[in-house]
Amino acid sequence: MLREVGVRGMAQSVFDKISVLVVDDSAYMRHLLHTLLQALNVSEIHLAINGEEAWELLNRHEPDIVITDAAMVPGDGFMFAKRLRSLRGRALGMIPIIMVSGHTDIASVERARDIGVTEFISKPISPRGLYERLLQVIDRPRPFVETPTYCGPDRRRRNAPYAGEDRRGAVALV
Amino acid sequence: MKHSKIASRLAGHETDGGETPPEVRFVRVPSIAERKLGSEYVAPMRLDPRILDQMQATIRSLESKYVETLSAQVSMLQVLAEPACKGDREAHDRLYAIAHDVRGLAGTFGFAMTGRFADSLCRYLEQGGHGKHDSTVIRFHVDAIRDTLESPGTDVTISTETLDALEKLIAANRESMRAAG
Repeated sequence: MLREVGVRGMAQSVFDKISVLVVDDSAYMRHLLHTLLQALNVSEIHLAINGEEAWELLNRHEPDIVITDAAMVPGDGFMFAKRLRSLRGRALGMIPIIMVSGHTDIASVERARDIGVTEFISKPISPRGLYERLLQVIDRPRPFVETPTYCGPDRRRRNAPYAGEDRRGAVALV
Repeated sequence: MKHSKIASRLAGHETDGGETPPEVRFVRVPSIAERKLGSEYVAPMRLDPRILDQMQATIRSLESKYVETLSAQVSMLQVLAEPACKGDREAHDRLYAIAHDVRGLAGTFGFAMTGRFADSLCRYLEQGGHGKHDSTVIRFHVDAIRDTLESPGTDVTISTETLDALEKLIAANRESMRAAG
């Protein structure tokens, strides 16, 4: 007998089990992200207006994913992401961070990457862009790296040919 | 511990002088899908067009409300342009905040050019401190943003040319400021 698959199929069964923390100082952007996440059937959505409030909600609810704006006052998205990644040795410190930003210059993207942001979405956001990034962090996590100077997902996304010593290949994954 | 030492050595941090090697750890993080679905998990998850349709329908349902918000914001930009150009700090900051909001949202609701003009205005305001901006550049941007709303059918080529002209104006303005020291 064929198992009945819901209208939304496989993906829904994940989305309705996850919790997401949305951090944005723009009321309309919070509303937009909230509505899009509801359309995905995300079961638990928490909203914060800046990094300070987000920190409180993060510790209280321990969400599965964080979606944060970059520019906010007080406590912007970069500071918030840095603080989150400083939680070394705790699972909470490793949760995926999706940064949504209107600042799409290379310096901002590199800054986000080096702080440990998992995915970067440039504004204006599109439903497809958001959906794809969510699938990426939900289903295809990169190994997490902890060094004295960096804590976050492996910044190497591609297996490009490399002439030097392959340290990743030699290190057993924990 | 053994793992950390190996990792550190492989990372090129261990020295012969007996210094404590820095810790380098690679952690395999289980996927959220795997964790939440357990035995029901089937990899890989793919984008479901039906869900995407639903998200796009959501955007469409918000569109009319957003147009109202955007119109109000553009009106406010016009009100704020004058005092902002005359050095009113509060008006300047509010103008930037609204332009920042527009650059982030307008494109999502189909007002791509409005968003691009707002983005150009934000980038201009982000350079240099308060009071160091040319009022002509600010006014031209605000007018261009208003025009995209009032004449939605404008040929994209014309809007792009206007955007290019504004960028040239900004570059010329920056050059004259640099020359003036």
